[in-house]
Amino acid sequence: MFARLVGESFVRNPRRKVLTAAALVLGMAVATATLTVALEVGDRMAREFRSLGANLLVTPKSDTLPLEIGGVDYRPVDEGAYLNESDLGKLKTIFWRHNILGFTPFLDVPDVFSSSHQNAGRVTVIGTWYEHEVPVPDGTRFKTGLSVTHPWWTIQGRWFRDGAPECVIGKTLAQKYPGGISIGQTIYLQMEVSDARRYGAMRLLPFVVTGIASTGSAEDDAMLVPLSFAQEISYHPGQFRQLFVSALTKPADALAARDPKSLTPTEYDRWFCSPYISSISYQIEQVLPGTDVHAIRKVADSEGRILSRISTLLWIVTLAALIAAALAVGATSAATVIERRGEIGIMKAIGATNALVNSIFLTEQLMLAVAGGAAGFVLGAVLARVLGSSVFGSPAPPRLVLLPVVLGLAALVALIGSLIPLRRAAHFDPAPILRGE
Amino acid sequence: MFGRIVWKMLRGGKGRIFVALLAVTSGAAVISALLNVQFDMQHRLAEEFRTLGANIVIAPASGGEASGLGGPSASTGATVPILLNETAIGSALEANRSPDVVASAPFLFAIAHVEQTPVVLAGTWADQIPRLNPTWKLDGQWIDSRTDESLCLVGRTVARQFQLSPGSNVTLNYIGRTARLHVAGIIDSGTAEDDQVFVNLPVVQGLIGTTNGVGLWQLSVSGTSANIGAYAARLAAALPAASVRPIREVTEAEGNLLHRTRLLIASMVALILVLTALCVLATMAALAMERREDVGLMKALGGSIARIVSLFLAEVSVLGAAGGLIGCIIGILLAQWMGQRVFDTSIAPRWEIFPLTIAMMVVVALAGALPLRLLGKVKPAVILRGE
Repeated sequence: MFARLVGESFVRNPRRKVLTAAALVLGMAVATATLTVALEVGDRMAREFRSLGANLLVTPKSDTLPLEIGGVDYRPVDEGAYLNESDLGKLKTIFWRHNILGFTPFLDVPDVFSSSHQNAGRVTVIGTWYEHEVPVPDGTRFKTGLSVTHPWWTIQGRWFRDGAPECVIGKTLAQKYPGGISIGQTIYLQMEVSDARRYGAMRLLPFVVTGIASTGSAEDDAMLVPLSFAQEISYHPGQFRQLFVSALTKPADALAARDPKSLTPTEYDRWFCSPYISSISYQIEQVLPGTDVHAIRKVADSEGRILSRISTLLWIVTLAALIAAALAVGATSAATVIERRGEIGIMKAIGATNALVNSIFLTEQLMLAVAGGAAGFVLGAVLARVLGSSVFGSPAPPRLVLLPVVLGLAALVALIGSLIPLRRAAHFDPAPILRGE
Repeated sequence: MFGRIVWKMLRGGKGRIFVALLAVTSGAAVISALLNVQFDMQHRLAEEFRTLGANIVIAPASGGEASGLGGPSASTGATVPILLNETAIGSALEANRSPDVVASAPFLFAIAHVEQTPVVLAGTWADQIPRLNPTWKLDGQWIDSRTDESLCLVGRTVARQFQLSPGSNVTLNYIGRTARLHVAGIIDSGTAEDDQVFVNLPVVQGLIGTTNGVGLWQLSVSGTSANIGAYAARLAAALPAASVRPIREVTEAEGNLLHRTRLLIASMVALILVLTALCVLATMAALAMERREDVGLMKALGGSIARIVSLFLAEVSVLGAAGGLIGCIIGILLAQWMGQRVFDTSIAPRWEIFPLTIAMMVVVALAGALPLRLLGKVKPAVILRGE
């Protein structure tokens, strides 16, 4: 009988359910979409921040003082310490290896004699990787280089191929080099003096210019070549000076601010197993002994601060969305019950108790809430995909964890929304309601 | 008469009106708070990004940032340092003053020697250093004058190399000239600045023998990447002899992130707007339904449908406007709280939100009362019988 009453109500008068159902579907869709995006956004934003470039800098520990001005090291090549290129694969073996998005070694060779067809001049040569495959000890290969750590560098023409005798000229250098430099031309670089001593003759290495780079910093005034050639010119095979690492990190909190040595074993484990910039640099120092790993403070700090601000803002907005969804569902449920006061009057007139009336209405609302919530979840997942791809360029995957949360929320607000008018209806005398007063 | 009926209707069903008003008010509060934050967010986030440091560099037109470099590469004759004129740039910057310029400082680099070891010496306006680089950590004290010639700040690596601490003295040699300096503080930047010694500009100018030359000029400008680009273009027009360029890694990433964050929040705010409108709509529709009997009675008494409907619409607009106004006031307070919570500063109330929100609430409330028009077509007898 009870089931029939409820069933008939849906079959006989579906129009009345439309408003509540629409509010439920829409409200829960918005709740699902905002929650999905809020859960996803920390990771996405952290990835976006990597467009700022590297946030860790690795240098040799026992080094002489670098003479770096505007990004170029002016130390002579036979001074100071170097790091080994062959160790770099180990970076992908640390605990947070998946958070290492990329790394690029640099070897600056200042003051190299160069000549083109008729002209000659001295240039700063920078050896680096554009897209280089690094062998990782576990047998795989990891592709990394400037394209990951310095994404804002633009090129007219194309970048040098790894291992080919090609070079890219900085924008400013291309203009000021005697006679100018254009794409397709060949530039000869002279090997270092130590090499000449060794072989008893000066050697010139030819490089084909493949592009003109615009970097916005000192590299605009230099010549970029594949790392292996810079090593050959400076006679430092397999070595480099500086390594820029771009790592996904978690904003620093109270635990990250403490000195790792003062932590208790459990705290230490928690610190080690969180992708803080301090724990990642500690892990890098462990696999690359003899190095100094510093967080590039302006990048790392700004990133942490802005990320935590954006996520607080987003959670507040999500909360507002949830409140708005609850209000909308509550208001429509209340409207439906008010609209059906006549029915309540009839039921009560023919002897239904308040409890029975309430349970019939609440069952109806609950069924609507479950159906509407489920439909809303599906719609919300679609909405989150659209939102994810329009804001971050890749869709946010649906999270099934949210389904019970959304269903529960839908049921709760629909029940609260209809309970209030039902309580009021309980006090009414059936007679005046039936008379239409 | 019209006004009196509307007034009586509002006074009449106190409970129902209160519920409707509550719905409109809470909707308006949420909308106005979010709109306020949305309007102010770009500005606040742009300020946050200033922790990234300088984003515009003025350098000599030909030659890179290394200009002004004495030492190894100059000695080999590779680059003859080209210097900028300090007074020319200073007056151009003065002529293009903008409240968006957070910090501005000239730089002149030289390679000096400390006990035979070469070290990069950076001459600048020392009082601007903390503003230009808010993330640098300091052990000791900043130098708060730009004319003082006895103090210096040293990078972490330099301090470690020469065992310097705040309060100790260091002597710099530059081809025969010397400068004795007192270490005011030790800088931790995580970048190449850890290997440098910072002094006021006159010290370096005195060492390398120039009176008015600077190597480059750094500016930290707040705003969107378009604003920063426009400011750089204005400076470039004023300084034809120099190259003015935005530091791309900073401005581009900044622009991108600002854009994405704004897009994200804006789309969520739009969704919330739709929901709130729906909530107000439902409440108003319920209110209209309850008025069915009144409509029937008025029609039976001979009122024209247009007049009856306009009566109800007037009632609903008053509700919408009143709810919108109260909601806006609450919303602006809410936005202040959100500002404190998210950005640690209060958010400037935007007054244009008032008309916007109130208009929106009135429109939504009117839309909610639309079912009344359909009811107008029903025969009064049927409604009065309660069917």
